[in-house]
Amino acid sequence: MSNILISSPVTLGLRNGLLLGVFFNAVVSSSAAFAEETRQLDSHEHGVGELNIAVDGSTVAIELHAPGADIVGFEYVAKSFDDRLTVKKALKSLSHPLELFLLPDPAECRVTEAEAHLETEGVHDDHADHDDHADHDDHADHDDHADHDDHADHDDHAEGPVHSEFHATYTLVCNNLSALTEITFAYFDAFENALELEVQLLTASGAQAFEVKRGKPELDLRGMF
Amino acid sequence: MIFRLVVGSLMARGVTVGMTVLSIGLSVALFLGVDKVKTGAKASFSDTISGTDLIVGARSGSVQLLLYSVFRIGNATNNVTWESYLDLRARPEVEWIVPISLGDSHRQFRVMGTNVAFFEHYKYRQGRALTFQDGMVMEDLFDAVIGHDVAKVLGYAVDDPIVVAHGLASFTEHKDQPFRVSGILEKTGTPVDRTVIVAMEAIEAIHVDWKGGAKIPGQTTPVEVIRQMDLTPGAITAALVGVESRLQTFSLQRAINQYPEEPLLAILPGVALQELWGIVGIAESALLAVSVMVVITALIGMMATVFSSLNTRRREMAIFRAMGASPVAIFGLLVLEAILTTAAGSLLGLGFLYVGLFIAQPMIDSAFGLFLPIQAPAGREMLVLFAVIVAGAAVSLIPALRAYRLSLADGMMVRT
Repeated sequence: MSNILISSPVTLGLRNGLLLGVFFNAVVSSSAAFAEETRQLDSHEHGVGELNIAVDGSTVAIELHAPGADIVGFEYVAKSFDDRLTVKKALKSLSHPLELFLLPDPAECRVTEAEAHLETEGVHDDHADHDDHADHDDHADHDDHADHDDHADHDDHAEGPVHSEFHATYTLVCNNLSALTEITFAYFDAFENALELEVQLLTASGAQAFEVKRGKPELDLRGMF
Repeated sequence: MIFRLVVGSLMARGVTVGMTVLSIGLSVALFLGVDKVKTGAKASFSDTISGTDLIVGARSGSVQLLLYSVFRIGNATNNVTWESYLDLRARPEVEWIVPISLGDSHRQFRVMGTNVAFFEHYKYRQGRALTFQDGMVMEDLFDAVIGHDVAKVLGYAVDDPIVVAHGLASFTEHKDQPFRVSGILEKTGTPVDRTVIVAMEAIEAIHVDWKGGAKIPGQTTPVEVIRQMDLTPGAITAALVGVESRLQTFSLQRAINQYPEEPLLAILPGVALQELWGIVGIAESALLAVSVMVVITALIGMMATVFSSLNTRRREMAIFRAMGASPVAIFGLLVLEAILTTAAGSLLGLGFLYVGLFIAQPMIDSAFGLFLPIQAPAGREMLVLFAVIVAGAAVSLIPALRAYRLSLADGMMVRT
């Protein structure tokens, strides 16, 4: 941005057209330079989510990264009433980890922290809609504007396909970790587009990776703790 | 009664049966040996590094980073700048960080630049620390600690001078700055055994008179001047990182992988080892499959000899029948013979395995750094032997069934 500020006094004396041109160039080049410095994207595979589990003492930290396609079936920015409702429901469901990842009762695990949000490629401020705002969305007025929303979608597509990911982080405390012998993934029942979760488990004995698939939604943890 | 008959009958056909036992024994020994190598290789693989939470290097692949940073196989695509290393070291999640710098060699062994923290934090085989067989860690700029194999192969002792060559398999040597062996490490069974460890600054020091991969002609900076110079490295090859709390590992990993100033890669050693084993393991599994085939071939060979003996033993069978043996007894006789043959073969195979292990263990250890422990046969081996015997019995059912049918039809008549 500093580029523009410096260059505009210099071009002040010139005609409007030229000024515009310079301004435009400055914006393009500075944004290009900015993009070059930080241009990187996470890999993103539809149907495959990532689940990271770290265990330290009685604390279990879990992170879930899942493509929007897996969770809600689309990845464009939700604008229609239905789409936004779907996203809202998904976020609500994602903030109840013990209903998605069933742990054995004797392990006595309880959730101390749960947070879920939607991250859209290139749009970093699209954090979780807060539940407080749910009332506003319920108003029927929004349906009238549905046409406009469609137009907005087209603009997005012009830039290329948009990807979005649901991110969730949970902190659990388990009183009896040795009873944590398996995880059953109700996650696959809740989100029918999800096919696979790549699980990374970090315990005192090191890191291990597993693949949990829809066909066999279980993870055997015997002897891990 | 039947048992005595069986043993007698087997003894009477000593040579044929002996050959069958030998072939089964060899095949079983091969199978157990391959299995032993597979489990041994996997164990020594995953024992190579422990206690390190993350390995950080230039962004490439997790397996590649693991290979060059831990196994000293292959080369880094890029280095990590010293600034990034300092940034990383300053992060609150990082409990300790050990830089490593690779690229030079001494004879056939790689030289690794690092700092003394390496000896404190590098752990192998479930948390075992490096120990010194002789001497101590580097104290001086030109001190080097050498791995067990380096000392053994090159016959070095503490205080011997060594010369470090520039680049791998290169003939130009850094003759101006001879290093001194300050310590020799105990055998670990890891790539550390084949590594020469020097200080990061020493790597810089030996390159003072070098530009663009060649020595600047006529320029020799005296060692005394080098000692006064600022030898802060410009780059490192990789770094081993320990995190404050395990719960922060994943977020630190993501932060490093998305570090905007430089493309870096952080990997979880355990997961990368697993990935690497997934690649190497295929060859091992193929080898195991081949050895299973060999066992099956030996068993089919046994079946063939039993078949061919049936004709010559018709009279024997007929006499058994005349003595009052039921056709079922004839059937049982042949199956029991097969079970005894395979059991003898399996035991012989086990014997071959241990003799082979005693002879080959030191050789495999020194040649490949693969330590195969000699232990009493465990449940797994017993299971294999049992499976071979059961398979032998199953295979013998076919000739036994034929003998059963023949003995019913033949009666005392022997048609020739």
